[in-house]
Amino acid sequence: MVVVTTPALGGALRAIVGAEHLHEGGAPVDGAAPRWTAAPATIEQAAALVALAHDERLAVVPRGSGAALELGHPPTRVDLVLDTRRLDAVLEYNPDDLTVSVQAGCTAGALAARLAGRRQILPLDPPGWAARSLGGIAATQASGPLRQRYGTMRDLLLGVRFAQADGVLTWGGAKVVKSVSGYDVPKLMVGALGTLGVLLELTLRLHPAPDHEATWLASFRTPAHAQDCVAALLDSTVQTNRLEVLDGRVLAACSLPVSAAALAISIATVEPAVRAQEGLVKAIVQRAPGAVQTMGASFWKTYDRALAGFDGVTLRIGTVPARLVETLGAVQAVLPGAAVAGAAGLGALRALVTHADVSVLLPPLERLRATVGEVGGGVTVERAPRALRERLDPWGPVPAAALAVMRAIKTEFDPRGVLNPGRFVGRL
Amino acid sequence: MALSASVVAGLQHLLGPAGVVLTREGRLTYESDMLTLYKGMPDAVVLPTSTEEVQAVVRICREARVPVVPRGSGTGLIGGATAPQGGVMVSMTRMTRILELDLANRCATVQPGLINLWLTNAVRDRGWFFAPDPSSQMVSSIGGNVATNAGGPHCLKYGITTNHVLGLEMVIGTGEVVSVGGKAADRPGYDLTGTMVGNEGTFGLVTAITVRLLHLPEAVKTALASFASLVEASEAVSAIIAAGIIPAALEMLDDAMIGAVNAAVGKVYPDGAGAVLLIELDGPRAEVEAQAERVAAICRERQALMVTVARDETERALLWKGRKEAAGAVGRITAAYLLQDAVVPRSKLPQIMREMVAISKRHRLLFANVFHAGDGNLHPLICYDDRKPGELERAQQANEELLHACIALGGSVSGEHGIGMDKAKNLPLQYAEADLNFMFRLRRVFDPDGLMNPAKLLPSHPACGEGFRPARPTLPAGTWV
Repeated sequence: MVVVTTPALGGALRAIVGAEHLHEGGAPVDGAAPRWTAAPATIEQAAALVALAHDERLAVVPRGSGAALELGHPPTRVDLVLDTRRLDAVLEYNPDDLTVSVQAGCTAGALAARLAGRRQILPLDPPGWAARSLGGIAATQASGPLRQRYGTMRDLLLGVRFAQADGVLTWGGAKVVKSVSGYDVPKLMVGALGTLGVLLELTLRLHPAPDHEATWLASFRTPAHAQDCVAALLDSTVQTNRLEVLDGRVLAACSLPVSAAALAISIATVEPAVRAQEGLVKAIVQRAPGAVQTMGASFWKTYDRALAGFDGVTLRIGTVPARLVETLGAVQAVLPGAAVAGAAGLGALRALVTHADVSVLLPPLERLRATVGEVGGGVTVERAPRALRERLDPWGPVPAAALAVMRAIKTEFDPRGVLNPGRFVGRL
Repeated sequence: MALSASVVAGLQHLLGPAGVVLTREGRLTYESDMLTLYKGMPDAVVLPTSTEEVQAVVRICREARVPVVPRGSGTGLIGGATAPQGGVMVSMTRMTRILELDLANRCATVQPGLINLWLTNAVRDRGWFFAPDPSSQMVSSIGGNVATNAGGPHCLKYGITTNHVLGLEMVIGTGEVVSVGGKAADRPGYDLTGTMVGNEGTFGLVTAITVRLLHLPEAVKTALASFASLVEASEAVSAIIAAGIIPAALEMLDDAMIGAVNAAVGKVYPDGAGAVLLIELDGPRAEVEAQAERVAAICRERQALMVTVARDETERALLWKGRKEAAGAVGRITAAYLLQDAVVPRSKLPQIMREMVAISKRHRLLFANVFHAGDGNLHPLICYDDRKPGELERAQQANEELLHACIALGGSVSGEHGIGMDKAKNLPLQYAEADLNFMFRLRRVFDPDGLMNPAKLLPSHPACGEGFRPARPTLPAGTWV
C-alpha cells in the first residue's frame, strides 16, 4: 500500500468512472457516510474500482437499489460505495433456452417487463421485488412467495461474474441450464452479501409464465388449523404456486377480514388444470376446517405492497413447515405486537415488528432463536435501525465448525477485508 | 506408494480386519469406476460404518500424508473413484442407513452409501419420492450422486441433485467434521451445502445427507414421437419448450441407438426412424392431459412420422425400457465407446447435431446418440474398435472436436457426469485462468494438504498451482501509485 492523500485517491477514482459518476460522500449506508460513491458504467470500471480500493485498503460496500442496506452488522468502515445502478443492461436474452444474462444493477421489474413479451418469468418476488436489483437479490438471497414452486436465487442462478477483492474479474458456473463443470461457485456467491466478490453479471434460469393463475384465501380459527391445512396440501397432489401464511395483523395490513391465521394459496397452470385443482384445494381447506374465499389477481400486489411498505423491524425466520404453530406462538409470546407472514410450505417466515423498542428486542430475539433453534432454524434481523443492530447479532449463531470454514473462505479470498468488511456472519 | 506399517495397523485397529482390504485381489475391484480407461489401485480400501470412523481414517491418512479417495457404488463415468496416486480408498458401502424420515417436513437424512432408488422405495407407498434419478439409480449411491451433482432424465423439470440437498455432514480435508445446512429454511452464512455438492470428494467425504422429498405427481403420461432425422426431432424439442411446456423428461435416441435397442430388447421403437423423442409429462391430471395434447400436436406440426401415447403403465414401461437399456444395448453395435457429456444451449441442438454428423464422417466413426434433449445435455457414444490400431485415438480426437464445438456454442463440458480425471484437462476451455484459480483456492480451503481425491476435477494448469496470480485490472496512471 502506498499511503496517499484523499484528493489524490479521489482523482484516481474519478479517472476510472469519470467526474460525473464519482461523488465525495454520497448517500449514507446504514447510517455511515461513505468517503466516495462511484457508479461504474462497465464491469471493467467496477473491477478497477475494487482493485484500487484493494491496493489502498479501502472498504468497499456494493449497493444496488438500496433496499437491503440494513441487512447485517452495521458497517464499521465505508470508504467507497460501489453503486451498480448504471450496470443495468440485459446482456443476452435467449428465450428458446429459457436463460438470460443481465448486469447486476438490472432490476427485477425491468427484467420482468422484458420477459413478458415472450411470456416468460424470473420467479423471484421478495417484497418490493420490482424495484430491487438482481445483484442485490442474489447477494442477500432474498425470496418471496414464488419460492414455494420455483425455489430461490440459489436454484435459478446458473452463472455469475464478479470482481474479487483484488479486482480480478472472475466467472463461475455456466450459461446453460445444466452444468456440473467444476465447483458450484454461483452457490457460494448467493447470500454472501458481496463479501467474496462484487456481483456484476448474472446468468439466470427462466420459466414459462403459467397460462392462468387463481388465488384463494383460506381463513382459520386457530393457527393449528392452518398448519393442518398446510400439511394436507403438502401431502397431496396439488401443485401450489404460492402458499403463504398470514396472521391477523398482516391480513389487516392487506385490508382483508381478520382471522387467527390465513393461507393464501395459488395454483398456476393451464386453465382446466387450475379448475380441476380448485375443488381439491377447497376440500382440503374445508376439512382443516377453514373458510375459502376466491381472491382477485391483484391480491399478490396488495400482499407485496403490505410487506414492502412495512416500516419497522423485519425478522427473517427459518424453520420447518411442521412447526408453524410453535413458531407463530413463539413470536406472539415474545413480541406480542408482531405481524407474521411467509412461505408456509417451506418454513420461511417474516416477522414484522413495529416501533421496536431497542431495549426490549434483544431478550425476545434470543428466546425466539432458542425456539426455532430446536429444529436447526434461525432468526436473521433483515431490517432494523442501526442502533438496534449494534446491540445484537443480526445473523444469530452459526455452528462453530461451519463458521470456521466460512472464515477460512473469507480469509482466502479477501484477506485485507475490502468487501463489506465486518457485516456478514461472524463479522467476516 | 505402499502404506507404512503404522498406517495399516492404525486402520486395522480402527476398523477391524473386515473393515480393511489389503490383498491385491481384493483391491483390484476398486481400481476404476465405470470409466475403465483410468485405473489406479488404492493401497488399501477401508469400509467405515460411522462418521467417527471416517474422521479417524482421514486423520490417520492426513498424519501420514496419504491420499484419501471416496467411493460409493463405483458407477461414476469420469475416472473419479480411482486412486491414481494410491492411498486409501474409503468405500461407503457399509454406511447405507436412512437416519431419519421426516415426511411432515418433506425430507430425509441418509448415509452416503444408501442406493438412490432405495430411498424412493422407502417412501413411495406413502406418496413420496426422491427426484434425482440418474440412469444408474438402481445401483448408484446418494453420496456419489452428491459428489458428482448427478442429474438424470427427470432433471429437466425437477433440477439436479444440488436442488434437492438441504444439508450435509462432511469430514473435510483438515480432518474436521462440518455440518452445514439442514431441514430448516434460510440458514445465515455462506451456502456451504451448495458449494460442497459436486465437489467430487476433493473437499472431503460426505457422511450424512439431508435431502428434500417430493410428493408423487397425480398423473404421468409418456409419449413417443419418431422423426426422419435428429435435426427435426431437435426442432420439435425447441418448439415444445417455446410453447411454455417443461416436460418431466425429454429424451432423444438416434437411428444407431434405435437399432441397437430394438436388437437388444425387442422392437420397442419404430424401425426406419432417424430419431425418436421420449416425452414424459407429470403433474396434476388435467395439466398432463392438456399438455400431452399440445405436445402431440407440436410433434405432428414438426413432421413427426408417428406419435404414440402410452395408454397404461405397461406401455409406459415399454417406452422407457429402450431408453433405460440403451447403454447396455450399445454392446450390440460396438466393442467399445467413449461417452460424451457436454451441454449446448438447447436452441443450438439442431446445429450441434449437424456438426456431429460432420465429425462422425470426418473420423469414419459411428456415433450413437441417447441424450437429455430437453436441457441440451448430449450423450453421444463414440463407437470404436479397440482391437484396431489407432481407432481409440481417432475416437478421442473426435470426442475433443465435439467438445470444442459445444463450448463454441456457449455450452459446458459436463452436464451431469462431472469432471474427475477424464475432463479436468477440458476445464480451461470453459474457464479463464482467474476462474480456475478461484476454484483451486476454494479447494485449498477445504483441503490444504491436497490429499482429498487428488488429481481429480481441476486440471494440471499453472492457474491451479501455488503462487499463480491472475491478471488484475489496469489502474489509471497517476501520482497515487
